[in-house]
Amino acid sequence: MEGSGDGEATRFRARIPRAVRRARWIGLGFRGGTTAALVAFLLLAVGFVLFLVRASLPEIRRTGIGFLFGPHWYVTAGVYGAGPAIVGTLLTSALALIFAVPVGLGAAILSAEVAPRWLRGALAYVVELGAMVPSVVYAFWALVVLVPYMKRVVEPFLLRTLGVGFGFAGLPLGQDVLTAGVILGVMATPTIAALSREALLAVPRERREAARALGATRWETARIAVLGPAGPGIAGSIVLALGRALGEAIAVVAVIGNTYQYPPSFLSPGTTLASWLVNGFSDAIGTQREALFELGLILFAISMAVNVGARLALRRSASGAEGPGPLRRWLGRRHRPGLPGVTAAAGSEAWWPGVIARRPRRILRRKVVAAVVVVLAVAALGIAVYPLVSLSRLAVENGASVALRPSFYTEPLPPPCLRNCSLGGISAPIQGTLLLVGLASLVAVPVGLCAGIYLSEYARGRLRTASGLVIDAFVGVPTILIGLFVFSAFLQYRPDLAQSAIAGGLALSILMLPIVARATEIALRTVPLTVRESALALGFPRHRVTTRVVLGGCRSALVTGTLLAVGRAAGETAALLFTVGWTPYGFSGWDQPVSAMAPFIFQAFWGDSTPNWVRDAWGATLVLLVLMVLISLAARLSLRSTNVALPE
Amino acid sequence: MAAKLDIRELSAWYGRRQVLYDLRFSVPDRAVTAIIGPSGCGKSTFLRCANRLHEEVPGTRTEGAILLDGQPIAGLDPIALRCRVGMVFQRPAPFPNLSVFENVAAGLRLLGVRRRDELDQGVYEALVAAGLWEEVESALDAPGVSLSGGQQQRLCIARALAVHPEVLLMDEPCSALDPIATARIEALIAKLRSAYAVVIVTHNLAQALRVSDLTAFFYLGKLVEFGSTDQVFHHSQEKLTENYVTGRFG
Ligand SMILES: Nc1ncnc2c1ncn2[C@@H]1O[C@H](COP(=O)(O)OP(=O)(O)O)[C@@H](O)[C@H]1O
Ligand SMILES: [Mg+2]
Repeated sequence: MEGSGDGEATRFRARIPRAVRRARWIGLGFRGGTTAALVAFLLLAVGFVLFLVRASLPEIRRTGIGFLFGPHWYVTAGVYGAGPAIVGTLLTSALALIFAVPVGLGAAILSAEVAPRWLRGALAYVVELGAMVPSVVYAFWALVVLVPYMKRVVEPFLLRTLGVGFGFAGLPLGQDVLTAGVILGVMATPTIAALSREALLAVPRERREAARALGATRWETARIAVLGPAGPGIAGSIVLALGRALGEAIAVVAVIGNTYQYPPSFLSPGTTLASWLVNGFSDAIGTQREALFELGLILFAISMAVNVGARLALRRSASGAEGPGPLRRWLGRRHRPGLPGVTAAAGSEAWWPGVIARRPRRILRRKVVAAVVVVLAVAALGIAVYPLVSLSRLAVENGASVALRPSFYTEPLPPPCLRNCSLGGISAPIQGTLLLVGLASLVAVPVGLCAGIYLSEYARGRLRTASGLVIDAFVGVPTILIGLFVFSAFLQYRPDLAQSAIAGGLALSILMLPIVARATEIALRTVPLTVRESALALGFPRHRVTTRVVLGGCRSALVTGTLLAVGRAAGETAALLFTVGWTPYGFSGWDQPVSAMAPFIFQAFWGDSTPNWVRDAWGATLVLLVLMVLISLAARLSLRSTNVALPE
Repeated sequence: MAAKLDIRELSAWYGRRQVLYDLRFSVPDRAVTAIIGPSGCGKSTFLRCANRLHEEVPGTRTEGAILLDGQPIAGLDPIALRCRVGMVFQRPAPFPNLSVFENVAAGLRLLGVRRRDELDQGVYEALVAAGLWEEVESALDAPGVSLSGGQQQRLCIARALAVHPEVLLMDEPCSALDPIATARIEALIAKLRSAYAVVIVTHNLAQALRVSDLTAFFYLGKLVEFGSTDQVFHHSQEKLTENYVTGRFG
């Protein structure tokens, strides 16, 4: 007779084949689903590129390579050339880097290396907040604060001191290439500061202590033990920031003066690829539209090259690659035959007293240098956070009185008027933004999540590298191009929907998708192999390991990634500019135009609007800023909750 | 033997938590002093007090004093102190983006040595002293991290020796190395003792026995026994020490 225990075991074993079969089917389904998501994304990417190419083909045929150098944009004559836009783009981005690299790096060094420890987290948070401020907010801050300041103070000063020899000539207009470069620099600074800080913090403590134990000051420690290993990460952050600057449309169009010319001086108005698209696309037809598409194609090619380059550099640093970088390796190839300077035999001791005598002499000087670096870093941090402080203050001063009224959130926009206006609210843009971001999340979060899972858990080798790079390229794609793509694609197949809530939602989902996918992939990769293996060893099927163990292990990182994507979408202007149309009224159907927060602000400051709309736009700005603060706080909190749970 | 380091009533804290209690002993010049004890008993903390790295960790505190040649180190400039008291860590930590040559030259450059011949001479002497010269003579421009683990550790020793310290603190310098590399470092320590005061923390009792002249046994942050290595290992005064060195706990 069998004991009842044996019977249990037999019955249990009998269930195994069935469970295994079921798990295999579910596993296949899971794998199929995630594959489909990645394929969908890749198809979208390919479609995006093909569409841009096809739309600009007529212009490419007409002007060939000459388009790149053509200096004119004569709509009436139908003569188009990209020269001034390309030059303007490169010039403003270079100016942006000249501003943002020292400021961002200084802020990063301060918040990672030299500030008192209790202050570091707060500093980093404030700087990072700057990266979340929507570009439309920077745009009007630039108009209200930066342009007058440049016009009255900086530009006259530059004209007096540096003058023509340095490319500063003409009148101080305020709206010119230099100002565009500065606002792009302001916007690029938080990216450089935040990512460089991560690269600095990734350098292990032992390295710093090794330098400290040699008697290095804090600054010397940063220089010899930290900046070198963090170099690829810092370079990556700079190139990534460059990618953003190249593709920024909204802030540039506000301050650059929008003149199609090779700027003869830094103080002349000009244009960039992205800003010329904003400027001209909505009422362009025929050949001009084709030429604008070619501008978009050029912009896409430049930003894609830059973004992929940045990611390659960042990956190198993330993979912990050590040793001198490629440049140093190349420089280091000159071979030193032994040490020609050696004159005395080892152990002769004749040489040491000289070294020992140096110690006290140098210490004061080294400390002064370290102190100067601290002062510079504090100054850099000040410059980095000033725009944020200034624009928050403006938003509170001008927007608080409106935004504190409860009816502000429930009333529709007031009719435009000049005097004795009735008070209205921004319920329509709020409702529109909620619906658009909701629709976008509905599409982008599941698809992005699945694509990220496939990439991290199943994709191997070339496929993984290639799709990773495509995602990287699309994380940094200029959003104005997304708007262009969605609008024109609808125009071709469903012209009635080209300016509708559904088009806007899809544009935002294209914006969010790569962000979510990347965040997922990165989050999944942080779950250690040992965790996966121990789950597999317990007999967990592969997909259960992924859904239960791996996703569970990095839940908060996923939440953070999604939150940041939502934040980006909620503040987005350029992708919606052509796609949502314009209406002051509330939502009236997915196939109808809809208003949204950021486009409303843009419209109120630039379009035909009246003082009461401008006032409401200030209120809307404040609401957006508060929203960004809330999102970043939520992201922080959700990340912190894991950090606590992580074993030391 | 003259006392190089004089430890007087030294106590140390991380936050509220006290990890060293009232240590008193002297480290002689031109000798190897081993510090043994179970992990977590404060050995590393003691070394880090001796070159004032301890105070770099936020929230830490010390009481009492360490005298270097009769001078309290609290009164010295930390930079000057660390030039006189070198340190080698458990995990070899060459500066990853610097070549072998530049790793060793790093300390000299900090001191403002710029002339090629001075740098060459200093690096040469340090590499010879660390017993690494023959092995890296033809690879001075290779990255420091391209060397083997044992070579990296000797590179770190050379880096510390290049600024000509008087005391060399070594925190478990062999615990990440294989036996052959360990033997090399031990031979090196035997050589260094003629010129430096060496303080070595080790988990390996046999190593303490092989390389050291004096041994201090730490337990739970207190100095249990201090004396010649032979005495501590073979004629211990304390029951605790005897149990530890005979492997009855640890
Ligand atoms: N940075 C730190 N913060 C807080 N406690 C620490 C820190 N470093 C070490 N400790 C604690 O101090 C005690 C002594 O540590 P340590 O000196 O590293 O011991 P040992 O080197 O003998 O293993 C240990 O209990 C350890 O947990
Ligand atoms: Mg230790």
